[in-house]
Amino acid sequence: MGDAIQWWCAATGLPWDWEWQWYPGVHLFLLLVAGGWYWLGTHHGWSRRPWGWFAVAWIALVATLDWPLGKLGAGYLATAHTIQFLLLTLVVGSTLVKAIPADGWLTLLPSGTRRHAFARFQARALPGLLLYNVIVVSTHFPNVVDPLMATQLGSAAIDIAWMLGGMVLWWPLLAPAPFRRLGMFPKMGYLFGATIVPTIPAMMMVFSEWPLYEIYELAPRVWVTFSANEDIQLAGLVMKVIGDIPLWVAAAIVFFVESGRAEHDTTAQAAARGAAPAPARDGGRES
Amino acid sequence: MTRLARHTALTAFTIALASCAGDAPQLSPSGFIGAELATPGPVPDVVLTATDGSPWHLADSARGRVTLVFFGYTNCPDICPVHLANLAAVLDKLPDQVGRQVQVLFVTTDPARDSLPRIREWVRQFDRDFTGLGGSDSAIVAAQRGFGVPPAVQDTSGSAANYLVGHAAQVIAVTRDGVARVWYPAGTRQRDWAHDLPRLVAFDG
Repeated sequence: MGDAIQWWCAATGLPWDWEWQWYPGVHLFLLLVAGGWYWLGTHHGWSRRPWGWFAVAWIALVATLDWPLGKLGAGYLATAHTIQFLLLTLVVGSTLVKAIPADGWLTLLPSGTRRHAFARFQARALPGLLLYNVIVVSTHFPNVVDPLMATQLGSAAIDIAWMLGGMVLWWPLLAPAPFRRLGMFPKMGYLFGATIVPTIPAMMMVFSEWPLYEIYELAPRVWVTFSANEDIQLAGLVMKVIGDIPLWVAAAIVFFVESGRAEHDTTAQAAARGAAPAPARDGGRES
Repeated sequence: MTRLARHTALTAFTIALASCAGDAPQLSPSGFIGAELATPGPVPDVVLTATDGSPWHLADSARGRVTLVFFGYTNCPDICPVHLANLAAVLDKLPDQVGRQVQVLFVTTDPARDSLPRIREWVRQFDRDFTGLGGSDSAIVAAQRGFGVPPAVQDTSGSAANYLVGHAAQVIAVTRDGVARVWYPAGTRQRDWAHDLPRLVAFDG
């Protein structure tokens, strides 16, 4: 590569240094995401702009893709790469789904179109899990990761696949009403299901006899005393232990929110029944 | 939608299949993943300096055990720590009867900055059994030439205190008979070492 501009973080084999590096492709992508979101809202006349959700998504994207995490994850530390994975799938994916209001999604996926049908299909538990797990597993195979991370396009493809994978993961839970189909227990089961398959690559990283990824095994060390073996094992632990926590928290939130809602509905119905004249069960006869 | 599900499943299966098909390593005529030297030769008869200051007779020390020789320097930002860390990790996992038969020699190519205590401290970060060696400029150059690798050169673009050293990136494996036979380039993986080290130990010409 020499002194050629690096557009996206990718493995270079060059020694690590803490000097800030500009990645024009990353910044262009971040601008496109921000501009695209703003343009969609204006062009489609959204009823409201979920600024807060978008801000969280965009800041998480900056933290994930830009220096230093982007550079560390692309070519130096598997642990950093796993943190990127968790940020993109758990934070960016979920907040991007919420960053578009219900009427915005309906404009993007109009009723009666194939896009709408696909979005409804993906809002079901099994298709959601299947597609998410295909993305997760395929982007963790060493024979996929090693060649892709060595190129800027490949590295960008993995980052974007994880971002989209995050949206796929959260779609059945956070999609607006016309698409969402799951009740409380299916949602909780879905979240539990989402923790199962990623266990496979995570445990392969932890228990593999030899380092799973060439790119991180042969990367110049960031800290001499932190070996590639320790790094890849830590990455597997982070993926499993830290990665599961938000899904368990989400399951708990679903339980409490939906239980509260059901209780509220029951109370409201009871109150409505109490306010209206109660139908006489005994035909109005007095004893 | 059934078609979509079928398509997704097929794609996943194809990716899984393609990814599981690992590349079988190409082996040398003697069954090593490392490259065999075209003309194996004896270890050069050079006297270096051990980190306790005592003389280290390279040729004598390389008999009876498999010796892995690497020329590098402690300020090396990339290849040296990766080679040594990978060797340490593999030797830690191999059976004792193999590990005990392997010695790792790290010879500095930057004697101006690499003092003997500095070499010892640095090498022991990876494995307490690794041996660091220093010596005079002429002895170090003679050792490199004796192993058939180009002598290291200092990169003149750095400052007097902060410079890089261009050096041979390969590890040279010497079998128990004291003959340098196989070399391992930068990029040799731990599983390659795990494949070759028991064979190097068992090699009897």
